[in-house]
Amino acid sequence: MRLSVDQVEREVARLWEEEAKRSGTARVELLTLVALVSEPPLLERVQAVVTEVVRRLPSRTIVAVWREGTAVSITADAELHHASPGGLPCGDAITLEAIGEAREWLPGNADRLALSDMPVCIWWVGDLPDHDDLFDRMVVNADVVIVNSQEMDLRDLGKLTSICTRSRGRYALADLAWARLRWVQDLVARFFDDEPARACLTGLQRIDIAFSPREGEKDAASTRSCLLLGWLVHVLKLPTDAPQWRRGDTWAEVQLGNVLTRFEQRPHRGVRPGGLVRLALECGTARFEIQRTEDPQAYQWSREVPGMQTPAQILRVLSLDEPTLLLRCLERPKRDPLLEKSLAVAWRIVRPVAPRLSNQPPGGLDL
Amino acid sequence: MDPSILSENPFRLGLVTERTPAPCVFVIFGASGDLTRRKLLPALYNLAVSRLLPPGMSIVGFALTEMADEEFRSSMRQAVGEFSRRKPLDEAVWKDFASRLHYVSGKFEDPANFVKLRDKLAELDARNGTRENRIYYLAVPPSAFRIVNDNLARAGLVYDPEDTTRYSRIIIEKPFGRDLASAAALTADLHRVFHEGQIFRIDHYLGKETVQNLVAMRFGNAIFEPLWNRNHIDHVQITVAEDIGVEGRGKFYEEAGTTRDIVQNHLLQLLMVMAMEPPVAFTADEVRDEKVKVLRALKPISAEEVETLTVRGQYGPGNFAGKPVPGYRQEPNVDPASIVETFVAMRIEIDNWRFAGVPIYIRAGKRLTKRMTEISVHFKQVPHVLLAQPGPVDPDVLAIRIQPDEGIGLRFVAKVPGQTMTLRPVTMDFRYGSTFGGSGPEAYERLILDAMLGDPTLFARADEVNAAWRFITPVLEAWARGPAPRFPNYAAGTWGPTQATALIERDGRSWRRL
Repeated sequence: MRLSVDQVEREVARLWEEEAKRSGTARVELLTLVALVSEPPLLERVQAVVTEVVRRLPSRTIVAVWREGTAVSITADAELHHASPGGLPCGDAITLEAIGEAREWLPGNADRLALSDMPVCIWWVGDLPDHDDLFDRMVVNADVVIVNSQEMDLRDLGKLTSICTRSRGRYALADLAWARLRWVQDLVARFFDDEPARACLTGLQRIDIAFSPREGEKDAASTRSCLLLGWLVHVLKLPTDAPQWRRGDTWAEVQLGNVLTRFEQRPHRGVRPGGLVRLALECGTARFEIQRTEDPQAYQWSREVPGMQTPAQILRVLSLDEPTLLLRCLERPKRDPLLEKSLAVAWRIVRPVAPRLSNQPPGGLDL
Repeated sequence: MDPSILSENPFRLGLVTERTPAPCVFVIFGASGDLTRRKLLPALYNLAVSRLLPPGMSIVGFALTEMADEEFRSSMRQAVGEFSRRKPLDEAVWKDFASRLHYVSGKFEDPANFVKLRDKLAELDARNGTRENRIYYLAVPPSAFRIVNDNLARAGLVYDPEDTTRYSRIIIEKPFGRDLASAAALTADLHRVFHEGQIFRIDHYLGKETVQNLVAMRFGNAIFEPLWNRNHIDHVQITVAEDIGVEGRGKFYEEAGTTRDIVQNHLLQLLMVMAMEPPVAFTADEVRDEKVKVLRALKPISAEEVETLTVRGQYGPGNFAGKPVPGYRQEPNVDPASIVETFVAMRIEIDNWRFAGVPIYIRAGKRLTKRMTEISVHFKQVPHVLLAQPGPVDPDVLAIRIQPDEGIGLRFVAKVPGQTMTLRPVTMDFRYGSTFGGSGPEAYERLILDAMLGDPTLFARADEVNAAWRFITPVLEAWARGPAPRFPNYAAGTWGPTQATALIERDGRSWRRL
């Protein structure tokens, strides 16, 4: 059923009333999740993801999509999300479709449909356009803006850094790729809880990062691997002023002071594109390594520190699907200074080799 | 690199990660028993799945039954497969986890077995870098505590608490005594070997997410605390109701009864968390200091008052879910003339500035109508009935549901739509399950992890245990001195004896319908 935007609230209220009569369910909604679908083919995937998210976090979802056309209009669909097919309702499912220039009206209409006094989270699905003020206008009233840097290229690290700077704390940036790195960070942190292991870091010489390549990946230094390096470099306060790059077809190396980092594409059975296959840190005679096993969801965690006995450990890392990652980003709608700093450091490292922007906006882009 | 950044783990800074404890060896005494199979090993396995066990950690089972390591692993695999909340078993994690499982057999009474244990632990330290860190879990009856502790000490397996290079901690399960004297004796016994800071007394209720949420609700919101006192609260009800019987634990129950099994520990823990003052910090001693103050403020129930302020009961035959069920005296291993209580209700008061004059009604029992643990805070009537109503306006109730359907509900009145000003109670419900989805860690997972991290906040301290017994013991003694009760006095599947209803109705109140 197509509705005008001003009919949506009434329709949603009617649906909840019907449900209340049927099942007596109380209406619980914790936030508004607005998903901006930059390419119509992504719509189905996005609908499936938000449906799954709402099952675990009752919310209002507004999926906004736009199409080319001459009829300038926005229409809406309103339904309820259900915890399972035919099960209890768990949120409002609103779809906005903008045709032609009505795309410009989406920010105002999404804002109008946001739940009162609840956080608004904007999920930008897909690549960030180089210059598009829709993004800026959408995020004005957001609490959290979620992107997926893995769907972007190296230059987007610069754009994301700029977004953080421009937000001036009004909204938090969250990144699905960063959320996916959380377990890697956890495993790396475990290496250095002991003082003797930490002491080895002063002798850090080499970092190896191997990722499973995405189809058509041109650069061995992917955005996600560079974000991981950005975090390592930020934490260890390594110099970033003069990164020296060398690159081949399936590998890339960057020298930062005394530390060489080598990126490598390494396909691994059962590992989705972009997944980490191996991370190793070499500090003189000490070695710290996380390596996928034959079972693609299990890792061998091992370290060799002179004078310390540590058996290798097999650790399960559950496959993180998109709804789970999105939920992680929604868990804590607060700024993440670590992400912001890691992004900025990653951008300083990759800037010399990142592709140029497609064209410059008037006045240039403040990076 | 600036070495000053390495004074702490720099990779932990700013990271929202779960805590990983230092490597240790976890020794379970009573490893062939039910608790190990149903709770401990599944909890440890789940911690492994969650990547929360430290590298090199080993688990050593110690029990009388003769078993090789492989046999122990196989038995534990079956237990984890059956009782873990995570199914199916994760083969990769299990393989790694199983390699950490070891077994030592022998009598607790024989010091030579503890020398054998010490050698095994030393071998594991050398192999796995566990640095002589030890946790001893006593999944054995309290009667075995003394001999185990003495032999641990004799074998040099208990360290000075001031030793910062290694630690030894002990986890014990309730019952922590049968009365004040035996609890004090048990504490004294433990203190001969362990310092209080090394003792972790487990009460799994404190590991429940909803009990921790009660702290979050009270002290993380501004709207509740101003109302949380005698000026606004009329009374409080705490119910710990089980719909099952003694389930094969007749022998244990004959020794314990509901007062010792539930009231002295779980129920008083709920009372403490509900009534404690805000601690100055959420640290172990600050929280436990405030909790114990509640117990110290409980108005003692004198022998003369026991008759009017307490009710005990025992279930007789009845029906549950449409099926006949036996009475307590017909349960296996129960004396056919038993006078052990399976139900307790009490009216208690807290003599402090905040709660003086606010009655707290508690009830706990087996084979009641439904399984339900709940704290309900009943607020006072509005001071003046402005709106013409037939009868009084229903007072507001805040209900904190511990299990099942964990959550919080607020009952208040609203106008019924229409031309007249008619008021009706309505509820606002917050359900953990529907709001956060999924399931959190089980109580044992949280508590075992806390013990490994050395955080005793959610464990009972000796003064807390003693204070609880100081309140309960006079009641038990008065019951023992008085005439034998006429049991059974309630049918299985009901809400307990009629005297429990009378206990609250005497004050013009009634038990909340659950």
